[in-house]
Amino acid sequence: MSRSRDAEYTEYVSARLPSLRRLAAVLCDDGQRADDLVQATLTTIYVHWGRVRTASHPDAYARAVLVREFIHERRSAWVQRVSLGGRVTDSPATAVDHDTALDLRAAVAALPARQRATLVLRFFCDLNVDQSAEILGCSPGTVKSQTARALDAARKALGPAHAAGSGGQPAAAAEHQICPGGPGHD
Amino acid sequence: MIESQVRALLAEIADGGEAALSQVDVQLARRRGRARLRWRRACMAGTSVLAAVVVAALVVGVLPGRPGSGPPAGPAAPRQFNPLVPYLSFGWLPAGDSLLAGGVRPEATYLTAGRTIDAPSTWDLVVYAAGQCHLTGPARELKCSTPALEGLTARITGRAPAVGGHRAFWAGPYLVWPYARGGWAGLLLPISYGSPKLSDAAKRKAAERDAVKIADHVRYGAATPPLVFAAQLTRLPSRWRVSSVYYVPDAGVLRASRFALGTGTPDLGADGGLEYQTNLPYFSVTDPVASRRSFCGKSASEIINGYWVVVTHQVAGTASRQNLCAASADGLALYISEFGAHPPINIASLFRDHLRLLGANPANWTRKPIG
Repeated sequence: MSRSRDAEYTEYVSARLPSLRRLAAVLCDDGQRADDLVQATLTTIYVHWGRVRTASHPDAYARAVLVREFIHERRSAWVQRVSLGGRVTDSPATAVDHDTALDLRAAVAALPARQRATLVLRFFCDLNVDQSAEILGCSPGTVKSQTARALDAARKALGPAHAAGSGGQPAAAAEHQICPGGPGHD
Repeated sequence: MIESQVRALLAEIADGGEAALSQVDVQLARRRGRARLRWRRACMAGTSVLAAVVVAALVVGVLPGRPGSGPPAGPAAPRQFNPLVPYLSFGWLPAGDSLLAGGVRPEATYLTAGRTIDAPSTWDLVVYAAGQCHLTGPARELKCSTPALEGLTARITGRAPAVGGHRAFWAGPYLVWPYARGGWAGLLLPISYGSPKLSDAAKRKAAERDAVKIADHVRYGAATPPLVFAAQLTRLPSRWRVSSVYYVPDAGVLRASRFALGTGTPDLGADGGLEYQTNLPYFSVTDPVASRRSFCGKSASEIINGYWVVVTHQVAGTASRQNLCAASADGLALYISEFGAHPPINIASLFRDHLRLLGANPANWTRKPIG
């Protein structure tokens, strides 16, 4: 890998690091695991840098790498990933601590990796069904069914009042550079 | 309604993760990426000319493992390495290069040499225990089964000068040779594929000459500086052993800077030269001066045995992990971690009742990490 390519790579990933960490944090809900996931993603991006830099949407490529790393990692048991170097990451306590939020968070944390990734792509990255299917490598129908199952699990966690169905307005898209709608997305 | 709650939850999680101190290291990603590329290219290396050379070699039966070629003469390779005994040492290195680190696991032992550990290229020697590597497939690939390294398949691309009287081969960026009966060794050349240096045939040839000379002078089973530990564990269950060690040269000794305990087959895989087992700890003991200032993060501390430590518990689904970190304990920076929900000795008890720190003076360090 030449110096110029290394420089390009470093410049690119350094700029995307905050948004990659945000996405990883949402997928993992664990600061240290999120950093491990981003670390693995950066390595993969380095290996495939030729493809990333020439992709029509490099950010979308990077996002897909991260989501697939997450699913692959979960499939092979996250405990197999060991962070070395004597580092401990401490996330600050969350501000919300009421029972409903905890129940929902626990329910989402307990989802299978693919369902959780589907929720994140749909409701955090605000991707549509087709875009999510492309990243997850499955059919749009599977994305729909995975979304339905994930939401159903979340509803059950919140009790009977939420079990009747969904509705309401979607929240405004957050500013995630690595997700569509955010600044810098091409 | 549920969608909006999920959106809010995900945004909240993202904000929490963003606030945490990042431990992601872009330089580390580059180094690992380069290593993975070297392996990938080793797998894919081989021009048709070289392939023809290999085919010809097979026809005349010069490659090891083929009928008629026979195993290397001499002693058999160890069936396992003792993690407390550095089996390996360099007998010669190019001017300016020195030993930077090493490690021992039951199935492999390795050394890294170069100018600095962070240099873009280093000499990486790995020696496998008997039975870990096999020549397979019609393309003559060397496959090693140890789980700790990525893509452990190297396609042999040509013959190299003999090493220690044994036939040796080029396998992409590697020089590989059977160092003893049933055991293989590999030396990664310090040149990056795709770099301008590789296109310089003269430099490549010089690196290959150095590689053969280094390989020729590797010492197996000879005396090395002692492997010592700056901490000692006591009163552990009798089956607990040190399963793997990573060490660095320090003040005339080999100081174990990381080590893991095990009771048998590691079930959590391996990474970074160590092997891990559920419910058993692994340790990092380093010089606090060399450690990051944010070594233990910003969590609230507690005092155990007079030392400030940070104990954290992490739970994800059914999996859990506990960590103990001491940024400065008797002149050492210490980090202990245990995966698993039911460790026989929890992390705080391990530190309080079973660990004796031996300070920063090498004269006080021990060769017996379990007393």
